[in-house]
Amino acid sequence: MHLSIKLPSYAVGLALLVQMISACTPPTSQQTSSVAQQNAQQTGSADQIVLAIGGESEEGYDPALGWGRYGSPLFHSTLLRRNENLELVNDLAINYRVSDDRKVWTVNIRQDAVFSDGKPVTAEDVAYTFNKAAESGGLTDVTVLQEAVAIDEDTIELRLKQPQSTFVNRLVTLGIVPKHAHGADYARNPIGSGPYKLVQWDEGQQLIVEANPDYYGEPPAIQRLVFLFVEEDAAFAAAKSGQAQVAAVPQSLAVQQVDGMKLYDVTSVDNRGLMFPFPQSNAKTTPDGDSVGNDVTADRAIRQAINVAIDRQALVEGVLEGYGSPAYGPVSGLAWEEPDADIQDANIERAKQILAEGGWSDKNGDGVLEKGNLQAEFTLLYPASDSTRQALALSVAEMIKPIGIRAVVQGKSWDEMESLVHSNVVLFGWGSHDQTEMYNLYHSKAAQGDFYNAGYYANSEIDKTLDLAMGAPTEEEAIAFWKTAQWDGQQGFTAKGDAAWAWLVNLDHTYFVSSCLDIGNPQVEPHGHGWPITANIAQWKWTCN
Amino acid sequence: MDMQLTGIASFMVRKLIRLVLLLIAVSVFSFVLVSLSPVDPVNAYVGADMLQIGSEQRELIAQRWGLDEPMTTRFFLWLQQFVSGNLGTSMIFNQPVSTVIANRFQASLQMLAIAWLLSGFLGLTLGIIAGAKERSWGDRIIRFYAYTLASSPTFWVALLLLIIFAVQLKVAPICCAAPPGVLAQDVTLWQRLHHILLPALTLSIIGVANITLHTRQKLIEVLNSDYVLFARAQGESLVGIVRHHGLRNVILPAITLQFASLSELFGGSVLVEQVFAYPGLGEATVEAALRSDIPLLIGIVFFSAIFVYTGNTIADLTYQIIDPRIRLS
Repeated sequence: MHLSIKLPSYAVGLALLVQMISACTPPTSQQTSSVAQQNAQQTGSADQIVLAIGGESEEGYDPALGWGRYGSPLFHSTLLRRNENLELVNDLAINYRVSDDRKVWTVNIRQDAVFSDGKPVTAEDVAYTFNKAAESGGLTDVTVLQEAVAIDEDTIELRLKQPQSTFVNRLVTLGIVPKHAHGADYARNPIGSGPYKLVQWDEGQQLIVEANPDYYGEPPAIQRLVFLFVEEDAAFAAAKSGQAQVAAVPQSLAVQQVDGMKLYDVTSVDNRGLMFPFPQSNAKTTPDGDSVGNDVTADRAIRQAINVAIDRQALVEGVLEGYGSPAYGPVSGLAWEEPDADIQDANIERAKQILAEGGWSDKNGDGVLEKGNLQAEFTLLYPASDSTRQALALSVAEMIKPIGIRAVVQGKSWDEMESLVHSNVVLFGWGSHDQTEMYNLYHSKAAQGDFYNAGYYANSEIDKTLDLAMGAPTEEEAIAFWKTAQWDGQQGFTAKGDAAWAWLVNLDHTYFVSSCLDIGNPQVEPHGHGWPITANIAQWKWTCN
Repeated sequence: MDMQLTGIASFMVRKLIRLVLLLIAVSVFSFVLVSLSPVDPVNAYVGADMLQIGSEQRELIAQRWGLDEPMTTRFFLWLQQFVSGNLGTSMIFNQPVSTVIANRFQASLQMLAIAWLLSGFLGLTLGIIAGAKERSWGDRIIRFYAYTLASSPTFWVALLLLIIFAVQLKVAPICCAAPPGVLAQDVTLWQRLHHILLPALTLSIIGVANITLHTRQKLIEVLNSDYVLFARAQGESLVGIVRHHGLRNVILPAITLQFASLSELFGGSVLVEQVFAYPGLGEATVEAALRSDIPLLIGIVFFSAIFVYTGNTIADLTYQIIDPRIRLS
């Protein structure tokens, strides 16, 4: 970058040109080794590490508007927390109980917690936070809350409109804000009682946070964290140049080597699957007048045969470079997955058998099955901007060709797809620690013409089981019902039963992490943005000098 | 002198009226276009959390941003606010639009200014060298350079420079307007310059080729004219001819292009800021459009319209200072 103006101008041009050309040629071995040496020198330390893991909250850091909805709000403490096995453990709460009618949650909180401005965290603050979150139109859904009331110094009653076992996830994700300091500019100057406090936020660039000396828990080992908000390619560049100690990269870059860094491939419930329209076509329309249903996918034989024919392990190897795992349901890898719902896949013969039993045959010999006037053919939509989904869609179309089903693969934008998702097969991606998602994917009530239950799947037995899960008093009891809804030995919404979806794979999230940094055991991560890897950040340690 | 002053005054008044008309048209058009776009602002706001936000919460979100009102009602509500000096609140940043634009433009302005001056200076110099020594090696190299740049997409050039200078040579930072982890009060002037230089250089490259080629062409025309032939006959050197006859002729198209390039520069900054993760107005524009943040988008459209319009007006005014033959009347 030492452009001297004194040079004859054409020399500058020439110099630039030479360098542009040299970028296209591979670096000589000498260059590579010197680059490697520089890479080995990590610039992090116990005093400061740099993380390039995306996930800027442009709206600011106000839990009442949705900050921290993926868990671990960093600046704030939550009532409960999920540990590395996703089990519920206390954080700010010392205990909680649910009333017999399951509508009142009573929580006791610890007395030694203080906000970073020195004021104690009281039951008032907790009640205020829940009430505020319920009424503000942000990204956390607390609409089931009637009101939150502080009973005394350390007791809060959360009164719900109706029982909801998944409400426990709000106790896990909703960071407690101070009533006395929660104003218009709070989102940009958050004050909380979490392990870290915000020092500086350069919007669009970085967030600097420092350990909170008043934190009631184990003090964090890393004094200062810098979150860089850069695109994936730049994150990789930052890791390669030793400027970042943690970098989230796409699977396609995970196969690369970065000196001085280890690749973490973290299991996630970030899944991809085919959603099938469930009813016959023209049976009904959405409130917006879009058509619902598809005659081909309304046939269970088609849905089950596709589920059985797909070779999920091949998708993991071929599309995800091995960084993923086969998925047979929406919650693969979580505690509420029903393992008996798994099927044997990549089984072409079984798939053909299912189709034959369902009355499908290829009479005209064109390779595509028919049943009456119906051709075994549908359109498979995927968001065009997502190369992983494109590869999955095309691979699946190839995999079901041998059993006589033709999928016409089309990439479109989400906005174009919005009116088409109820009558075409769509490659969706979901995955959450909150079971509400499973409820919204499969409950017939959720089918309202949005992305919830887009295929209008409806089975009254499943609805009942899902409602029982939602109304259960504890997460443990709810889990039994969540599992039953997947497969109870007779029926369920997964492949052995109604096969409402053909789940394909769970993605692994891939990170380059400095070999000097011990990040413990990461949780199974949810779909989406945020910083799932920071869930246990207070336990991270720097191991080099 | 009096005549000229009233000339300038009426010129400015006419310009101002046109600007106001332009802004009205711009606001109506962008409001209608964004409202008709298939992007549903609530969906765009909710993003990946789709399945955890129930319909009741969606209604709350729509209410919070006034999205439950019909388009015309929203437009007049917005206009009412706007007339009283309130540009509204950005959905994405949860901040007044004026604050967002002010913060973002501060960052962009330095980069735009450096890029603008650099491209003007380099473009003019290269053009004069190429034109004065037509068909020489220097001319060929400059032309090759200009054609190559004119046909290279900005983001591609930006990525190349990033790969060479930041990743391989490690002399430039990979992102941002300041070094990561350094507190605002500790950032030195040199560090700021260091971070702004590569994006600014990339951005200036857009303008260089254009100005170089036009300047070169104009200078060749001038050098082939009768009065230059006459000057040559009187023993004037090439440097003298360029200085006394060339510059004045050449600088007019250069300035026109330079000020007209403000819009290109503005557009280019969108791409460059994305690549270098430089937090300017360009980055905010992309976000606002992709997520249907109408107040912010209109605010930025307004701002950029004024910005580009001002640039063109300045170009008009400078003509008469440089070339007295162009008179306002």
